[in-house]
Amino acid sequence: MISRYILLCLLISLALPWHVCAEVVDETELDIQVREISKTLRCTVCQTENIWESGAPLAVQMRGAIRERLTLGHSPEEIHAYFLSRYGDYILMQPPKHGANWLIWLAPFVLLLVGGFFIYSEVRQWVKPTSPQPQDQPPPLDLEARKKIERELQP
Amino acid sequence: MNRGIQFILVVGLIALFALFLKGLGGDPRSIPTVLIGTTAPTFAGPDVESGKTLSLDQYKGKVVLLNFWASWCYECKVEHNDILRLHQQFKDNPDFVMLGVNYQDELPNAKEYLKTYGSSFQHVRDIKGTMAIDYGVYGVPETFVIDQQGIIRHKWVGPIVGQVYTNLTEQVISPLLHKTQSPT
Amino acid sequence: MIIEIGHFSVVVAWVLTLLGIGSSVLALRSRNAEWVRVGRIAVTLTFALLFIGMASLVYSFLMRDFSVLYVANNSNSKLPFFYTVAAVWGGHEGSLLLWAFILSSFSTLAVWLHWRTQPTIMPYLIAVESAVMLGFLSLIVFLSSPFARLVPTPLDGKDLNPLLQDPAMVMHPPMLYMGYVGFSIPFSFAMAALFSGRLGEEWIKVTQRWTIFAWLCLTTGILLGGYWAYYELGWGGYWGWDPVENASFMPWLVGTAYLHSVLVQEKRKMFKVWNLLLIIVTFSLSLIGTFLVRSGVLTSVHTFATDPERGLYILIFITTIIGTAFGALIIQSKHLKSQIEMDSFISRESVFLFNNLFFLVAAATVFLGTLYPLMVETFQGGKVTVGPPYYNAVFMPIALGLLFLMGIGPYIPWRKASASNIKKHFLIPTIAGVVTVVLLLISGIYSLYALAGGFVVGFSGSAILVDFGKISQLYANREQVNLFKGFLKAFSANQRRYSSLITHIGVLVLVVGIIASTIYQTEKVVSMKVGDSFSIENYEMKLLNIHQVEGTNWKAQEGVFEVTRDDEVITKLRPQKRVYNASQSPTTESAIHAINMGHIFLTMPDVSPEGVAVARGVINPLILWVWGGGGIMGLGVLLNIFRPRRREE
Repeated sequence: MISRYILLCLLISLALPWHVCAEVVDETELDIQVREISKTLRCTVCQTENIWESGAPLAVQMRGAIRERLTLGHSPEEIHAYFLSRYGDYILMQPPKHGANWLIWLAPFVLLLVGGFFIYSEVRQWVKPTSPQPQDQPPPLDLEARKKIERELQP
Repeated sequence: MNRGIQFILVVGLIALFALFLKGLGGDPRSIPTVLIGTTAPTFAGPDVESGKTLSLDQYKGKVVLLNFWASWCYECKVEHNDILRLHQQFKDNPDFVMLGVNYQDELPNAKEYLKTYGSSFQHVRDIKGTMAIDYGVYGVPETFVIDQQGIIRHKWVGPIVGQVYTNLTEQVISPLLHKTQSPT
Repeated sequence: MIIEIGHFSVVVAWVLTLLGIGSSVLALRSRNAEWVRVGRIAVTLTFALLFIGMASLVYSFLMRDFSVLYVANNSNSKLPFFYTVAAVWGGHEGSLLLWAFILSSFSTLAVWLHWRTQPTIMPYLIAVESAVMLGFLSLIVFLSSPFARLVPTPLDGKDLNPLLQDPAMVMHPPMLYMGYVGFSIPFSFAMAALFSGRLGEEWIKVTQRWTIFAWLCLTTGILLGGYWAYYELGWGGYWGWDPVENASFMPWLVGTAYLHSVLVQEKRKMFKVWNLLLIIVTFSLSLIGTFLVRSGVLTSVHTFATDPERGLYILIFITTIIGTAFGALIIQSKHLKSQIEMDSFISRESVFLFNNLFFLVAAATVFLGTLYPLMVETFQGGKVTVGPPYYNAVFMPIALGLLFLMGIGPYIPWRKASASNIKKHFLIPTIAGVVTVVLLLISGIYSLYALAGGFVVGFSGSAILVDFGKISQLYANREQVNLFKGFLKAFSANQRRYSSLITHIGVLVLVVGIIASTIYQTEKVVSMKVGDSFSIENYEMKLLNIHQVEGTNWKAQEGVFEVTRDDEVITKLRPQKRVYNASQSPTTESAIHAINMGHIFLTMPDVSPEGVAVARGVINPLILWVWGGGGIMGLGVLLNIFRPRRREE
């Protein structure tokens, strides 16, 4: 009895294209491209959010515009250029690397280098060639240091 | 702390203060658009009231004022009367056209809005937001002025009221209209 | 009536704050201790009055008294009780009152705690705290009062912003403010040191616990903010480098530099000016952060509601405080001669200097990035965005540098490190770092950042673990107990050091979580009907059905997704697309299932009228390490704060 039911089910499922019931859906190549481009463009009405993450109507429409342009065969670079020509640098999620913007791209590393060099040269001056002492003994300077501090504490 | 560092510290603090002060005084609406001086993107879309297709091409050779608005937008209501006044002021000039662009809106709401607040010129619907993106619109209201050659000459973010109105009519629209009339 | 009592209390508190400043000045002039006592009374009463002010506002919210403008703007008759309390700090006016309230409770606590031991500091402490207080209370009393009435009374309130109706958001602002305000105590002591000329190490030792407490609150606040963004904003990330987030991150960075560098002054009496500078900068950044958030200087284009007058007031106020602080530092700095003696460049002092350098460069980067759009607008007239890609790119190397320093710092001796010393401590960690990299490569991870992160985490982590192992062994042998008991003994014998190292372990765990969940996040967005399914990594999500659900103040469409792996059902996830009744604003409620220390994160941003749902699945590997790491950091700090008072004091 039961096996006959199973057979029936099988027959039905063979006869019908099975995606009518349920489908396995997946992202298309286009979806992925839309996402990659969306992530680099700013939602102009939001607070530093890209149009992929934003739910604002403008962001939704911009995603639509990207999709449309991709289906028309525009390349990602062309789409970037298009948005840039409409909104200016503001539309990009990061300052483009040209002109004065190099200031903020390089500043952290310049500061690290300059600071590092400054520390190195300062510390070199502080290092005094004191007589080498055995490591395990407490440095005798502490008494002197204490005196100095006490002098400082005098109002 | 040596003198040099003290000096940098003081100058840095003053600069920071000045920057913040400037930032406070800055008008968040005055966003310079990269579009000024470029050819106005062409568009075509249904008229809000009649549904007939309107396109920018049919107004070639005229000064076009584009006003992006939406029924849900508060600032649009603020400027609405002045927008109508502006149309009254220039509508008799054959070289002047005014077009509303209804943005991110439902058709019934847009119709209702125009019925309630009145309208004397045509409005085109921007259904997918493509027009707005073409014009680099951030939000509504935004107003553009396109000259006879089809070049974008002016953009304003925010309502056209008070000083902004005077500026727009006297400094932008009148000179543009005047320019074509004087040679003829 | 109740709200007027609150209003009146705050006005009286404002007057008392003036009294607090006046009495302290008189106390210093006349050298009469009675005036200090008056100051203490003023500070204490201010606290009591602000308590009444807070209570009256909370009461109005609970009674849903929409005749109060602030209540009407930030709550609604259907708003759940829990969020009604949180709504007190859901808007501008209320959060300022909360700021002031926390400030007054901290200063009262500080005055009573240190009254006996720090009598000479008291007038300065009271004066500085009252001055900061005056700034905030003036803002509340004159420019943004939460006590204003609304005529006519609306039938219902506008409701709290739906995004803020979240448990993490309830605690996030108070924690953040406790962090900001907590730094005001070491700041006040530092100012006292500067004004009184008692420039020794005393102020640092007294405020050591305050500092780490403030740091704990700030860290918790920031993490809660991330947690909130993760659950509530629905894009699967927790940190967006938004100006508001940056505003809280900057004082954290400099505060962290400060709490490390004070150790050097405690132990070696060096960096005196430097530490004063750091605490002033830390507290200044807390104030600047408040300014940036509250004045609207940095908000996006279409927030039309900013109020330049208020912004100008806050700017003048913080400039006065910051200017005074830096002025005092510059004037006094000639009296601050540290005695600097070192035996080698390679020493713990140097490591601390580099620690400070990296933290400050990190803070400067965030500062520059946050203000750069403003600068471009001012000088070039254009607009530019400084978003996450910028910060991620420049921050990673700085962060990795800091983590590396974290591994070597605790094991390099003061004054001078010998070659044998370096070999003893760092041979195993270096091997461990290399082994981690090799293991990562074998498991197919080639991202440069992940590998660099792996090396640094392996290095620093093993350095700490080796330390724990050795010291436990030592104590176990000495006391003839097992290894675990040995560890406990060792720990309590030097609780300050080892609790800090626990915090360091927390940082490493956190960083592993951050690296894994940013670099190896996978996501997929699909449109699907009921019955459809999609797969992401090894998981298959099947949409079983979509139905309507309703909360007290919202309605939602809920998708029920069955998650399976290898045909085995793991869980059911129910993301929602919610619309809040009062504001009609939609939110996306994420559904999350924790698995293998990571998350399956599912949202349903849209459902079309035809029943086609947009589903967004995200796999966030090791995301639990982010929160877990935060928890371990917090544990370490708590063990540090509550360590028994001993010889060191």
